[in-house]
Amino acid sequence: MRTRHPVAAAFAVAGYIVMIVPILFVVATAFTAGKTLKFPPEGFSLRWFGQALSYQPFVGSLATSAEIAVLATLLALLVGVPATLAIHRGRLPGKGIVEALFLSPLVVPELVVGLALFQQLIVTFRFDNWPVLLIGHTALLLPYAVRVTGASLAGMDPALEEAARGLGASPLVAFWTVTLPVLRPGIFSAALLSFITSFNNVPLSLLLQSRTTRTLPVTMLDYVQQSYDPMVAAASTLILAVTVVIAVIAERTVGFTRIFGGINR
Amino acid sequence: MHSRIAPLLLLAPGLGFLLVGFLVPSVAMLFSPPGTSTGEVFVRLGQMLTDPYDLQIIGRTLMFGLVVTVICVVLGFPVAYLLARTSSRWSGLLLALAIFPLLLSNVVRTFGWLVVLGSNGAIGQLLVGLGLVDQAPQLLYTPLAVVLGLTQLFLPLSIITCYSAVSQVDAGLDDAARGLGASRTRTFWDVVLPLSLPGIIVAATLVFAGSVTAYTTPYLLGGSSNRMLSTQLFAYSSVTVDWASASATAIIMTVLVFAVSALSSLAGRKGATA
Repeated sequence: MRTRHPVAAAFAVAGYIVMIVPILFVVATAFTAGKTLKFPPEGFSLRWFGQALSYQPFVGSLATSAEIAVLATLLALLVGVPATLAIHRGRLPGKGIVEALFLSPLVVPELVVGLALFQQLIVTFRFDNWPVLLIGHTALLLPYAVRVTGASLAGMDPALEEAARGLGASPLVAFWTVTLPVLRPGIFSAALLSFITSFNNVPLSLLLQSRTTRTLPVTMLDYVQQSYDPMVAAASTLILAVTVVIAVIAERTVGFTRIFGGINR
Repeated sequence: MHSRIAPLLLLAPGLGFLLVGFLVPSVAMLFSPPGTSTGEVFVRLGQMLTDPYDLQIIGRTLMFGLVVTVICVVLGFPVAYLLARTSSRWSGLLLALAIFPLLLSNVVRTFGWLVVLGSNGAIGQLLVGLGLVDQAPQLLYTPLAVVLGLTQLFLPLSIITCYSAVSQVDAGLDDAARGLGASRTRTFWDVVLPLSLPGIIVAATLVFAGSVTAYTTPYLLGGSSNRMLSTQLFAYSSVTVDWASASATAIIMTVLVFAVSALSSLAGRKGATA
């Protein structure tokens, strides 16, 4: 990019280096033939990918992560989308407070939420770890469901729905044929963001884990602490590849920057 | 009738969920951790705010948060500014590259620094290879490592927040200032920067709140000599199982985040009226 702002450009280059270069080093070391995380890598081989894909704790926790992420996303949308409709369309007293309540899990530090659920639900009330993990992830995702679908609802002209009603559609039919299609991109964005947020989550998953309920990021952290070999680099590279695919899908469907630029508005 | 009850029915499942899965446990954590009384939690809280060891951890957490926030704004704003104000066929790709890391697991991003900073890592090997040092310097488990890791983590957040702020400043104002004879630098400092200030404050708040509560980075890159509130909270709840200390740490973290958000919304309101 040619620019007439040399100082700004220098800072920007430094920013990109800090953001991107460590990730490139992960990918490079994943292909090493050597036994340690050494740079430059010793030789070229795919053996660490093979090891990562057959290492039982990784495979098992990948399944747990995927299960929790899918279910928590569905649950958050199932209870969050109706709430969004009520907030934006219903005649509610204290609408602002209700919305703030739904966004509140975003404000409290995740480790604190994790600690609260661990102390109260697992230790005091003896819940199993798995349902609590699901509850925690769903609570964490509710703000995304409400904010992202809310944004597309706010952009919709309420007259459309009134017109449908005026033409004789029942509330349900008007919702199904008019409102839902308008909401669809918002719901898709919220689902994508939710899935990724849940899948990558560490603080909640860390505090709510048990020997049988452990998510992939937590298992990887654990592994890094015990052994210093390129298997985590290989696993990370695989995650990176899948994430690129997700980004491309997001770009083709709703628009990558629209989805991910919309989180912190 | 239907317009009165329908919204409540739509809200009920979500509110119920929030109550059971978030609000009640959070409040209960403060007042009755398992087998511990409210009194014990607040006694421990008082101790933490006077004990030198605990104060050092709080101070370090604040310090890392502040340093990372400054770096993320100083590096992030220029990226946002250039992305919003220059158009080339690369800007789409560069914007995507700045946002993409938000999709990528913190574990993966933080792990990269082990490869770069580790004793067999890129920087160490480079310095040895160039003959500048005999042995790779200890870069991991230092404050520098934690700051670098947190900067990488939160820079994208800073960039997209600043980007939306700069995009909302009418580019016509830049042209007007230039047309009236202001230099590029002057236009930047006197027009673009002040008008983007509310966005910068939001970016700084998000980065600060994120850095003082992040766990993965201080855990992997800080080691035991760079404990932060987050790593300490985990140790209290899962290693020593000291519920009073864990709850007290949680209170400190939460108050810190809320205080900063309140301060920033105050500053934002002042900025908007000034």
